[in-house]
Amino acid sequence: MGAEKKPEKFVVSIGPQHPALKEPGHFEFAVEGEIVTSATARLGFVHRGMEKGTESRTWVQNLYLMERVCGICSAVHAMAYAQGVEKLAKVEVPPRARAIRQLIAELERIHSHLLWLGVAAHEGGFDTLFMLSWRDRETVMDLLEAITGNRVNYSANVLGGVKIDIDEVKSAAILKGMDFLEERTRHYMKVVTEDETFLGRTRKIGTMTLEQALRLGSVGPTGRASGVPYDVRVDAPYAAYQDFPVNIVTDTAGDLEARFVVRIKELYESYRVIRELVDHMPAGELTTRIPRRIQEGEVVSRVEAPRGELFYFLKSNGTDMPERIKVRTPSLCNWGSILATAVGHRLADMPMILAGIDPCFSCNDRMILVKRGNDQTVWTWEDLRRYGIEYYK
Amino acid sequence: MTTPMVGVIEKVKTWARVNSPWVIHFNSGSCNGCDIEILATLTPRYDVERFGIKLQGSPRHADVLICTGPVTLQARDRLVRVYEQMPEPKFVVAVGSCGISSGVFQGCYNVVGNIGDVIPVNVYVPGCPPRPEAIIYGVVQLLKSLQN
Amino acid sequence: MDIDQKLQAGAEIVKEWVISTSNPEVNRVDLVVAPENLKKAVAAMLDSQWGYLSAITGLDHPEYLTDETGVKKVDPDRGNLELLYHFSGGAAVLTLRVTLPYSEAVIDSICDIDMAAQLYEREAAELFGIEFRGAPSTDHLVLPDDWPVGVYPLRKAFTGLKKES
Repeated sequence: MGAEKKPEKFVVSIGPQHPALKEPGHFEFAVEGEIVTSATARLGFVHRGMEKGTESRTWVQNLYLMERVCGICSAVHAMAYAQGVEKLAKVEVPPRARAIRQLIAELERIHSHLLWLGVAAHEGGFDTLFMLSWRDRETVMDLLEAITGNRVNYSANVLGGVKIDIDEVKSAAILKGMDFLEERTRHYMKVVTEDETFLGRTRKIGTMTLEQALRLGSVGPTGRASGVPYDVRVDAPYAAYQDFPVNIVTDTAGDLEARFVVRIKELYESYRVIRELVDHMPAGELTTRIPRRIQEGEVVSRVEAPRGELFYFLKSNGTDMPERIKVRTPSLCNWGSILATAVGHRLADMPMILAGIDPCFSCNDRMILVKRGNDQTVWTWEDLRRYGIEYYK
Repeated sequence: MTTPMVGVIEKVKTWARVNSPWVIHFNSGSCNGCDIEILATLTPRYDVERFGIKLQGSPRHADVLICTGPVTLQARDRLVRVYEQMPEPKFVVAVGSCGISSGVFQGCYNVVGNIGDVIPVNVYVPGCPPRPEAIIYGVVQLLKSLQN
Repeated sequence: MDIDQKLQAGAEIVKEWVISTSNPEVNRVDLVVAPENLKKAVAAMLDSQWGYLSAITGLDHPEYLTDETGVKKVDPDRGNLELLYHFSGGAAVLTLRVTLPYSEAVIDSICDIDMAAQLYEREAAELFGIEFRGAPSTDHLVLPDDWPVGVYPLRKAFTGLKKES
């Protein structure tokens, strides 16, 4: 052949089964040498057809279904759904119930961010941090269990309010827990901003500029680390965020390190607002009556999940079952952004970059397919993770 | 080989298996609630590694498959493939209500059924999600049954 | 800027394409546009930096058949699909609505002007059977690989897959 031979592309495909992590999803990376030239995703391993399922369940039953869209951020799903239904039914939720909703949502944010910190550290081969952050996470799990009766899927929300209350004993336990976690979080902040070996994996890696983040529609901490000033808690306060406001945390660096820093600073904000909530908990009723049949209408309900803006669209046809429920989870927005930023980075950085958005697949499994010419090799996520760690040794 | 010799070897194998089972985890459509609790069993509060239980990345090295969630159409073939890749003897622990009865996801169009419909299950751990202690207890029950 | 002003400013940007306007909630405005103008309206919204595209919702409005026994049933062949493009700017939500008949469920893809829309469009394409003209990828995103062609689960006519015999 006279023509010059094109360099062969090597496709690395990851997924869909991962040992230590949360969910399934499948990625394919085309690489030239070390550098990723294109990335695609295949979701749907945990697609269960819930949006359709909601149409054959009653409004009350759906609360428990929606809570199980994602087990990590279950309370915010239930909250977004309940708020939407309450808006449809034109029902006002008592102030105490709104404050307790916010309290649970913020406790959940702490559990989710600490979980992510551990998982992201594990992807970087920093298992000590993984174990430590998960050990400390048990503090908040204990609190959630003490308050709601369950460690995960708390079912704290009901249509029209909440079904749990806070008393003095629980308040004292929460305050004590926050003090302990705040001290531990200061230590983690030091680790992620000062530990040389860890910085080698995070600083100036996976950088997304503000323009890119805006164009790609990043939300949540991923977007805020690039300076995208969106936070539903601030922009459109719901629950009790009007009375117990949080400050928006942004960064300008846009790299992986910034994503760590933003999430850790958000933890401080959560500790602060939880203390305020506990100290100034409004008195009053916990629930209000809500009709079984919801009047016709359409509402949009937005809340800030730990991973970003969660968007619910509810349409009622006047019966006891919804006409349509649309759920747009924050991870879906962030997928687009991450697949675009992956291009041009080293294959060894992929685990950290993907973990950097805190992907929530139920809201994806990961295996890798390595393709050389017609030759395909499947890597597991574990293989890729080890490859990354070896590369940086 | 003589029969008593085979018996001794089998005993040694069972002893080894019970004292250090290697586990693989597969999510066939769960909400993550069970998955984070399984992960929690590895972390310092519960720390199952001290009992020799090790979470393994490859099905080819695993003795026990821990499954979570209802089985979705897309995940069904993968679940069967992971199960088939495991060497004999192999055991399956289904964690969570969804694995038992599809849970709240019953009737959703992309859900095929529960884990028992797709692969044989040895131990079911109920709960939504089960506590980490319950998951450990489930695995211990499995190991006890192996000893006999 | 309060919410009313924000909504008005948003409606102003796309007013040349708007057919009708409604306010379903205090912080929302719904604007109906013709399918051929949708892309222009989205481009204008994005250029103005009013907000960002939060989600694309699909809705199915089937027509009903009444059989001889008086039972109402969904007609699988006649009806309309509706796409809702939700833009969020602060607390305000502006929605562009387009209606597409089953017989011509085709609309221009907006992926070339907003990359974030790709996953939303693919979801709507799979679940509702809407063709996005010029979309970069039409592979399955959420449905299984062996999902039957022409079956769209979120249409009202869909009640479940037939059991494999």
